[in-house]
Amino acid sequence: MSAALPSSSLAVQRGVLGAVLLVLCWEGLARGLHLPSYVLPAVSDILAGVWSKRALLSEAAGYTLLEALVGYGLGCLVGIGLAVAITMLPVLRTVILPAATAINAVPVVGYSPLILLWFGIGVVSKMVMVAMAVSFTVFLSTLAGLDRVDRRAVDLMRSFGAGRLSILWRLRLPTALPLLLAGMRVSTVRSVIIAIITEMLGAYGGLGWVIYQAVLQIDFVQVWSAIFVASAASLSFFGLIGLLERKILFWK
Amino acid sequence: MREMAVIIQRDLPSVQAALQTSVTPIAAGSPEAAAKPLLELRAVTKSFGPVTALADFEASVAPGEFVTVVGPSGCGKSTLFNIVAGLEEPDAGGILRFEGNSCHAADLLGRVSFMPQQDLLLPWRNVVDNAILALEVEGMPRAEARAKALKMLPEFGLAGFEKQYPHQLSGGMRQRVALMRTFLFERDLMLLDEPFGALDALTRAMMQRWLLDVWQKYRRTILFITHDVDEAIFLGDRVLVMTARPGSVKLEQVVDLPRPRRPEIVTAPEFVRLKRTLLDAIEEESMKSFQSAVAEEKAK
Ligand SMILES: Nc1ncnc2c1ncn2[C@@H]1O[C@H](COP(=O)(O)OP(=O)(O)O)[C@@H](O)[C@H]1O
Ligand SMILES: [Mg+2]
Repeated sequence: MSAALPSSSLAVQRGVLGAVLLVLCWEGLARGLHLPSYVLPAVSDILAGVWSKRALLSEAAGYTLLEALVGYGLGCLVGIGLAVAITMLPVLRTVILPAATAINAVPVVGYSPLILLWFGIGVVSKMVMVAMAVSFTVFLSTLAGLDRVDRRAVDLMRSFGAGRLSILWRLRLPTALPLLLAGMRVSTVRSVIIAIITEMLGAYGGLGWVIYQAVLQIDFVQVWSAIFVASAASLSFFGLIGLLERKILFWK
Repeated sequence: MREMAVIIQRDLPSVQAALQTSVTPIAAGSPEAAAKPLLELRAVTKSFGPVTALADFEASVAPGEFVTVVGPSGCGKSTLFNIVAGLEEPDAGGILRFEGNSCHAADLLGRVSFMPQQDLLLPWRNVVDNAILALEVEGMPRAEARAKALKMLPEFGLAGFEKQYPHQLSGGMRQRVALMRTFLFERDLMLLDEPFGALDALTRAMMQRWLLDVWQKYRRTILFITHDVDEAIFLGDRVLVMTARPGSVKLEQVVDLPRPRRPEIVTAPEFVRLKRTLLDAIEEESMKSFQSAVAEEKAK
């Protein structure tokens, strides 16, 4: 743990340095070559755009984050629930695994017309889309985690007279946590992306909707402003779950 | 039941008194030989597909007895423990009796306290919480179980380490946590599978003396696997030497050395005599298992 900390703070330093360099190049290119805003607006213009539209953008971000978070929560519950069900009742494996794989053979966005038709263009359809995308990733990673349990440890628990539920709770789930949380961390960014993409296909608000409207109005600084806000939102979500992961997996 | 075991237990102080006045070893027919056995195995066989791990294994263990089992590796020692712990069902035909009643292996789940060859500590639980795993499974409230474990910590040389996690402990300490977990699961019969196998010689000698102290205090019946003949004699009331695979009992040797046993006992003539007898038996079996391994290699 103590050995992991310095190297990860080094990674953060490198990441920040990389981002600063990228922004400087970007700014230099856009200003130096006098690029028109529909090609690439300067970073300073985009940040100014974010500031001037802060009310609109923060409301849109709240809207999108609500969809992403609720969908994410639902997706995690469904994914973990299915993986646990399969572990407790192995006969389900032959039913659930092929069905889940078949549904996910098509990118989730492929289902968006149907989902919008069934759930309308309000927040619910976005939540469903996010939940679908998240649940599969979390399901697969949880299942891999649950399967990784040491048979000898299961036998030890059995020798104490432990039943299936007790073994699940005291052994299987904690064993699965590292992979489960990795799946959850990867799903954070995905959940924001799916929410935004679905908003572009029809919505009453949100960052995707703002981007779509801005394109219609040929306001590229606003497109980029919304993209910046979306990136910041996804990165913070990713960071938050990553932080939680390190707190929970203290023994790693 | 435990009270019974304590009463049946060999009367230690009087035996020691007898030994102080005379050098003759105690008679082999100690009281527990006559007592009703706690565990009895008759013609127990276990095969895994084409491999017969145990064949016609016969043994009985009296309440309070410390029985050690030695044998070449792969001869079925762990398989024997898995059966007695209730994890594997032996092949049909054998007889398994516990506390005088004939039973299936599965009936023994939750009734025997089993310590596997690996410590299998859970990395997300600290020392105390690892030690109380079995108590928790039994349904004891955590606070109560922890209080009980905390009281036992000093005896297991773990005082002050209750909040440490397994990855922060040395091999010897991890082994003691696993032993404490086994002791806290209070059952009359304890199965210890090479608990000190991975430790260095000094730590091992210390742990052996310590185990004898703890055993004399708690008066459990212990079946103990080892591949170390010195350890088998030093600890046991009786040593079972197993044959090469398929495993059965080749030799049953009563160890009539006085208790408490001092470390110097390993150089006593009686000890050396026992060791020679056992080593001869083991050597013969090791040769057999070596030859059959070579033959298998050739057959491929
Ligand atoms: N679950 C199992 N499946 C197949 N073979 C097994 C199994 N358990 C043990 N064996 C075989 O039985 C034999 C005895 O193994 P084991 O009891 O672990 O030996 P020991 O503990 O004496 O070293 C070995 O040849 C081993 O390969
Ligand atoms: Mg073994």
